[in-house]
Amino acid sequence: MAEAGGVRVMIVDDHPVWRDGVRADLQAAGGVTVVAEAADGGDAIQRARETMPDLILMDLNLPTVSGTEAIRRIVEESPHVKVLVLSASAAEADVLEAIKVGASGYLLKNSTAEELAAAVRRVHGGEPVFSSSLAALVLGEFRRMSRAGPSNEPGLTARETEVLRLVAKGYTYREIAERLVISVKTVQNHVQNILTKLQLHKRYELMRYAIQRGLDRAPE
Amino acid sequence: MTPSPQERPYGGSEAERARATLSLGILVLRWATVAWTAVLAAATLSELRHPAVAWVVVAAEAAWTAWLTAARPAWSSPVLAADLALAVVLLALAGYANEPGRLAAGDRPVFSTAYPVVAALTWGACRGVRGGLAAGATLGLALLAARVLNGAGPEELRTAQALGLASGAVNFLLAGFGVGLLARLLDRSAAQLRVALDESVRARERAARLAERESLARQIHDSVLQSLAMVHKRGRELAAAEQVPGSELVGLAELAAGQERALRMLVLRPPGQPPQGRAALRDALEELAAATPGLRVTVSAVGPLWLPGGHVAELRAAVRQALDNVAGHAGTGAASVFAEQDGAEVVVSVRDDGAGFAYDEAALAAAGKMGLLWSVKGRVEQLGGTMRVDSTPGRGTEVELRVPVPGEVADRG
Repeated sequence: MAEAGGVRVMIVDDHPVWRDGVRADLQAAGGVTVVAEAADGGDAIQRARETMPDLILMDLNLPTVSGTEAIRRIVEESPHVKVLVLSASAAEADVLEAIKVGASGYLLKNSTAEELAAAVRRVHGGEPVFSSSLAALVLGEFRRMSRAGPSNEPGLTARETEVLRLVAKGYTYREIAERLVISVKTVQNHVQNILTKLQLHKRYELMRYAIQRGLDRAPE
Repeated sequence: MTPSPQERPYGGSEAERARATLSLGILVLRWATVAWTAVLAAATLSELRHPAVAWVVVAAEAAWTAWLTAARPAWSSPVLAADLALAVVLLALAGYANEPGRLAAGDRPVFSTAYPVVAALTWGACRGVRGGLAAGATLGLALLAARVLNGAGPEELRTAQALGLASGAVNFLLAGFGVGLLARLLDRSAAQLRVALDESVRARERAARLAERESLARQIHDSVLQSLAMVHKRGRELAAAEQVPGSELVGLAELAAGQERALRMLVLRPPGQPPQGRAALRDALEELAAATPGLRVTVSAVGPLWLPGGHVAELRAAVRQALDNVAGHAGTGAASVFAEQDGAEVVVSVRDDGAGFAYDEAALAAAGKMGLLWSVKGRVEQLGGTMRVDSTPGRGTEVELRVPVPGEVADRG
């Protein structure tokens, strides 16, 4: 039996064998209680509402409601829930989208049990989990935005770009803190700010789209 | 997949074309009836009570038809209503213009009954069977009004001549009904055509998707299926063995990991369109990472990084040597490769968190320990670039290569 208490986790994946494996890994690592499992996006939204987990391990390729859409709706309903995307085969655009709608981290399914347990702890502790490849993706996304022309939306500061580049190079937050002679907490704050800017940008994008289409006006 | 804008309106335009032909035919018929009305009016002029009215009728028909021809208005409700109203008035005027009782006699054609038929046809064409019948019935009533204006009393209408009146009305009804039916058939066959064309477009798309799947399947078949078969077979053999050497299991795991990476690259990223003579540095580095045994290499690249083919080959070789160095000396099982465009340069960094060393070129060269790093440096310098090594004993090593790139680097995905 799993020990009671610890991080309350929900596992969302359409493969039962995979869910069993993740559950076993997490329980072996300790400090985690799996409070719910869901096999599709719609189920995930429902179960999240019922069990109010602290953290959701989420696959992106799901039946009924997509993982990204489920994340968007769950985070909208309960902003305190942390979402860690755990995917074997998500396209880059989907991963980026998941981060934009509120996921706090992304791990490939080929990560080891220790990496998964560490990521769960870090995300639960409020620390965004950025793999180096996700950092490169985000770096590219901000470049794309700045290429799209000047805007009033927040771009990355020089320091944030530097931090993101070091994450992309594979440095841990601790190593980055040492190199830049700042505290680990400051590095985490930078990464969190980068995430927030990305999510903000998504909101601006939606707003602009709505205004263009006249969706901001009440129907006549 | 939604059909492209060019493909979408097939059936719609087919129906529109048929309707346009019908509408043009009716317009030609209008002119013919105007001419026929004029001929009849001229021929029966001497028998008319009010000859001027006949010419007013002909002029009104000609003017209305001329406007329809010139303006080609859409057959909206107001235009249809005006057309029908004109026809009703013309019919009634025929009763007024002719000698009293002339209409009831029915022995000679009445000059203004031809043109109103066109109104019934138009209603049928634009409003279907019901529209055609409604217009026909209205014109039938107008015919009755014409009789009354022609001096026929209620008694007369009750007699056998009512049959003559009815047959005139039936002509209008038939005209409206017939064309209405025709319009309905046109619409229905256009809809069938649209369904058939949509189906053929879908079939074409299905075939294209199947072809794509087949080519993917062929690519996957060789490496992935073979490796799976190998893992399956060796797995069973190892399970049956008394003692399983760890290296055998690691070998199996690496086999699976390599295929996983290859499959991910194949499936997840839509193939980019390389600019002429260029190759994606990212793809080359990922392929290299998958082919480096004994080292878990993570590749993070900002965009595909399209470079001249020669640059990609040289950078790949340089990174390979740097990775060999990590495998040989760093004492760690993992390395990260990062690549991005920085202004007019491409930056590639190879990093490990292994043993590290004191980087002092002169001292290392004197001790003959530069080894692989020299050849990395040599390759990069041949491309006009630079190598920077950042290492501290116990803190890992980062080798950064900067190479200027001729022309713009497309880092767009």
